Amino acid sequence: MGDPLDPSDYTVDELREELETVETADELESVLEAERTSKNRKTALEAIRNRLDDLGVPEAEAIEEDTDTEGEYLEAGGEPPFDPAEFDIAELGPKLKDVEDIDALRALLDAEESGENRDSVVTLVESRIDKLSESEVEGEVDPTELSVAELGNAVQNVDEVETLEAILDAEESGENRETAKNLIQSRIESVSGGEREEAEAAVPPEEKHPDLDHPTADKRHVRALEDGTYGDMWVYCETQAGALIDVSREMLGKARELIDGYNDDYDADERVVAVLVGDDVEKHAEECIACGADVVVYHEDDRLDRFQHKAYTEIFCDMARWGGDPGEGNPGEADWRDYDEPRYVVFPATNNGRDLSAQVQAELDSGLASDCSGLFIEDAVISNPVKTGQPGTNKTFERVLHMKRPDFSGFEYSTILCLDNPNREFHPQGASVIPGSFELPDPDPDLEGEVVEHDVALDDDWFRVEVTEFDQLEAGVDLTGHDVIVAMGRGIGADPTRGMELAVDLADCFEDAEIGVTRGIVTGSYNFEGHVEQYTQEERQIGETGQVVEPDLYVAAGISGAVQHKVGMDESDTIVAINTDPEARIRDFSDYFIEGDLFEVLPRLIDAIETGELDLGAVTDGGRDASETTASDEGDTHE
Amino acid sequence: MSDEHEHYEAVVVGAGPGGAAAAAALANYGVETLVLERGVDAGSKNVSGGLIYAEESAPYTIDDLFPDFREEASERPVTEYYLHNVAGDKVKTVDITDLHEHDTEWSDSVLRRRMDSWLAERVHEMTRETGGGLLTDVRVNGLLREGGEIVGVTCDEVDPIRADLVVAADGVNSELARDAGLMDWEDPEEWFQGVKAVVDMPPEVVADRFDVGEDEGVAHLFSGDLFEDVRGGGFLYTNEDSVSIGTVFHLNSLVAERAEPHELLDALLTHPLLAQWLGDDYEEREYSAKLVPDSKKVALKEPHEGRLVVVGDAAGQMQAQGPIIKGMNHAVSAGALAAEAFAEAKSRDDPSSAGRRYAKKLRSEGVMKKLRPPQYRAVSALGERDAVTNVVDGVLTSGVGRTAIKALSGQLDRLFGSPFLTSMVPDTRTSYVTLPTIIAEELGTPVREESTVEPPTLADRIGDLTYDTDIGNPHIRLVDNSVDASGAAVSACPVSAQDFGGGCYREETVTSNGDEERVVSLDTQPCVECGTCAVVADTEWEHPRGGKGVEFREG
Ligand SMILES: Cc1cc2nc3c(=O)[nH]c(=O)nc-3n(C[C@H](O)[C@H](O)[C@H](O)COP(=O)(O)OP(=O)(O)OC[C@H]3O[C@@H](n4cnc5c(N)ncnc54)[C@H](O)[C@@H]3O)c2cc1C
Ligand code: SF4
Repeated sequence: MGDPLDPSDYTVDELREELETVETADELESVLEAERTSKNRKTALEAIRNRLDDLGVPEAEAIEEDTDTEGEYLEAGGEPPFDPAEFDIAELGPKLKDVEDIDALRALLDAEESGENRDSVVTLVESRIDKLSESEVEGEVDPTELSVAELGNAVQNVDEVETLEAILDAEESGENRETAKNLIQSRIESVSGGEREEAEAAVPPEEKHPDLDHPTADKRHVRALEDGTYGDMWVYCETQAGALIDVSREMLGKARELIDGYNDDYDADERVVAVLVGDDVEKHAEECIACGADVVVYHEDDRLDRFQHKAYTEIFCDMARWGGDPGEGNPGEADWRDYDEPRYVVFPATNNGRDLSAQVQAELDSGLASDCSGLFIEDAVISNPVKTGQPGTNKTFERVLHMKRPDFSGFEYSTILCLDNPNREFHPQGASVIPGSFELPDPDPDLEGEVVEHDVALDDDWFRVEVTEFDQLEAGVDLTGHDVIVAMGRGIGADPTRGMELAVDLADCFEDAEIGVTRGIVTGSYNFEGHVEQYTQEERQIGETGQVVEPDLYVAAGISGAVQHKVGMDESDTIVAINTDPEARIRDFSDYFIEGDLFEVLPRLIDAIETGELDLGAVTDGGRDASETTASDEGDTHE
Repeated sequence: MSDEHEHYEAVVVGAGPGGAAAAAALANYGVETLVLERGVDAGSKNVSGGLIYAEESAPYTIDDLFPDFREEASERPVTEYYLHNVAGDKVKTVDITDLHEHDTEWSDSVLRRRMDSWLAERVHEMTRETGGGLLTDVRVNGLLREGGEIVGVTCDEVDPIRADLVVAADGVNSELARDAGLMDWEDPEEWFQGVKAVVDMPPEVVADRFDVGEDEGVAHLFSGDLFEDVRGGGFLYTNEDSVSIGTVFHLNSLVAERAEPHELLDALLTHPLLAQWLGDDYEEREYSAKLVPDSKKVALKEPHEGRLVVVGDAAGQMQAQGPIIKGMNHAVSAGALAAEAFAEAKSRDDPSSAGRRYAKKLRSEGVMKKLRPPQYRAVSALGERDAVTNVVDGVLTSGVGRTAIKALSGQLDRLFGSPFLTSMVPDTRTSYVTLPTIIAEELGTPVREESTVEPPTLADRIGDLTYDTDIGNPHIRLVDNSVDASGAAVSACPVSAQDFGGGCYREETVTSNGDEERVVSLDTQPCVECGTCAVVADTEWEHPRGGKGVEFREG
């Protein structure tokens, strides 16, 4: 070897030429090293490496031949897949992600440590090694190293009973945590579940565990159902304060869509059944049909005017079993249906709907997926031995309602399935549905359906809970549906109380008038006197974030006509605006614009109406042709 | 560990560039990371003037962490950069491309809705792999503490979340930095207010009016007497199919002059100099505003407390390098360095050292030196006193000063091209108003165009914004409604104005017991969440709940 080549003496181009003269890998290796420790130019390193390649000596081998220290890691860990020194930390993150081999990572780590030894790079590689090692351990779980929660996750991946038993042994001879052992045991049970289930299934729980309470022991009716027949999708249609609530309509729309698809897929002829329970609820039947129900089953009783948990549950269950599998205590024949129990039931996830759904499904001895936001019907292939009855086999369940529910604020979704066990049937498949999850259907009045009254004697016992008192949450003021609205804006600023008094006086001139205000009034600092203050609250705000009104006559006094106010009133039949500013925007969408001070105009207007001089009703009728009226400064109004 | 609450290794609050960088780097280290964003979509709450820099000297650039960034998320590279000194209709233009290119690997214009939502998608993919993810519509409202120690965050929408590391990347007016006692929102001197209009312009029109190709873009800065005596300047950046035009003013100066931010923006928009670019088809897509911290004064030297680290605007890391404003790039560096620090601390089995390590990295990587340049400290000690300003202004406006400026004329480009000089420019009337005005008066040439631009009224601008109002839950409460305490907000709030009834802040006369009094009223519904009134008025100030309030489409 002659004089070693010092790369830092050359530009990269020059270096390239010089390198041509170097014929040994050893020498190139030291040039490479010299470049790394001096200028460390990417392009230069590249050039040297290319030359090494030309010579047919891979870089790593060259190192092995030459340097002992670096040779060590080669023995220990194999070749690093790339040279960490060539990358800055930010580039390394993504690159490392592609490396799956721990040995390669160890080699990288060594390379970095014996090279630039950057703290952050070392950490990065170490954490990648940690991560991969963690996932490797999964095969051989050492319970003593894991928290109970971690252990819980780890054993979920283990399917062999022997392995699990070994883990259990390890735990017993180690920390012997009760909670940990339970976890492992329950995993053992669930993997070997199929076999046990079969052996034990015939033994009813009351006999198996005589020491426990068995509050569902009397649910023999359902338990006895074997090869039960199921049909239809039932929708519990909740009413509140005498009105059908939107979620009921949403569920009917969805049920229609699901059942139509179902009938196509399975060549069936099943139906959507709407259930109405309450006082005077039959009147909603028509709407239920328009929203998609084929059948409406209702039960009316004046004792049912408010939701009663026990009574509603009993009624719903009785409906569900109506005409079902004959047996002791079963309800009578039903000529409108021919199955034992509903195939699917859906409830609204409202306060009452949640209560009802839980108790009904328990009573029918089935399951419930609560607070769902998505539903679809599909076959499902299942391998869980509890469900298949035989470990290691798959079973196809048909017509399964898939119930999607959001976990953790909708960050994740779980899909819940309600499947029969080999020895026990879980029907109806039930869900409660978050209001707003589905589209409101367009009601189709041409749809036809059957309305069925349900009759059962209501047991007084069911009404042990008596509602002695109730409070209806302040519904606020409803400004919709009135003939006239008198609305006031910040134009009253000079004398706010007087301004509102004028509004009250004007409203009094009409049979059916209400007072509204702009947001400017609601959020203003005016000191209103007690007798008018009530008219200036947020509940009377008209506009985008308030109420939307369409009266025959809208009087807007001292209102500029901001677009956010406009959207709450511009569908009014006739709009009369009073404003001192002839440029005020409200002029653009008023039928009559009175330029003048409201403190002068309003008293004269009131006067004129009271004396019968002015008939605002007549104004209203003629309002459509949008004639404009401009008053003189004194506030005269001309028609 | 209590099982009571959900636990993640790291929780990142805010999905702007700082939070995105932190989350991406944490994910690269395999740290289980959850990102929480209060907007309906990342970027829907964010506004910036619009240039992001990749500095050659930076430890991290955005495209290091998100390789396709420039292709997918940015608008145009800035290939030319000009500073216009304006006095009346006279303008002296200086080419500052050199200053712009100093230490710059690349620099692109961006619109934050597009940029941040793209970043958020990548971040979601990356953090999901670690067992976390990104959640929008969730507003973190404070720090979860146990025995006085920070152990996580509390939210409006979900249960408290525990974490070994909390990254506050929640932007200017960081409620977490305030909760930790690291930031107050008291002194208007520490802040700038930026106001911006995004103006619609088809790509072929941009190409034509700015004489740029498809992958080229221009940046213009404006200073001088355009804005009367208010200290600050204007900018114009070309985007793919729009331009961003805005103003940035010292908040204390805005307050002192009782200036109306939207009028200052209009003064720029309607200046004849801009007529050549805006033509006669002005169409504003969006009006927006945001406070920006002045890193020279507020960048936290130790941006951490217990398990909390603070990055980006939340930590005051917004550098005004003379006329050039750099914030997003520093947020990216800081976020990634915080992640590095945590990973290191964790592997050394000393998680509590993450904060200290992060602060150390900010210093050793040279970030802190850019945020708080030592030369500024020396000059500002003298330069920002009024007396000195007056003397300097006196000299400049005298014949002597003017002659000196004329003599300088050949060297203006060099003068403005020195990053060292611009970083020591004191924040006075002199550098923002007097000097540029005299430069223009002495050296400028008159502009001949006439502007036909008619900017929308404030009412229209508010009307065109998208709001999801949290009815009945105002997020700002006026504590003291006297004009003395809170009157400044009536003009300084970018969506309020004297004699305008449709804004947030209004002055009203009320009579109680016959006494007339001027008071301030507040409606938070038109609020664009800029943060101004948190500083200039006496309020209890919070951001709206997750998903609520204004939603920027451009940003
Ligand atoms: C997201 C959002 C939602 C909003 N939602 C609503 C909403 O739901 N409803 C709503 O109203 N606003 C809403 N606003 C506010 C709206 O923009 C306006 O601020 C508000 O409507 C203005 O109220 P005003 O007309 O009373 O006040 P101003 O705009 O101040 O108008 C006062 C008018 O009175 C006139 N005037 C003054 N003195 C006299 C006098 N002596 N006689 C006659 N005229 C006089 C003036 O010329 C002026 O035109 C919302 C705003 C936002 C941003
Ligand atoms: S109310 Fe306050 S935070 Fe909202 S826009 Fe006005 S100044 Fe900004």
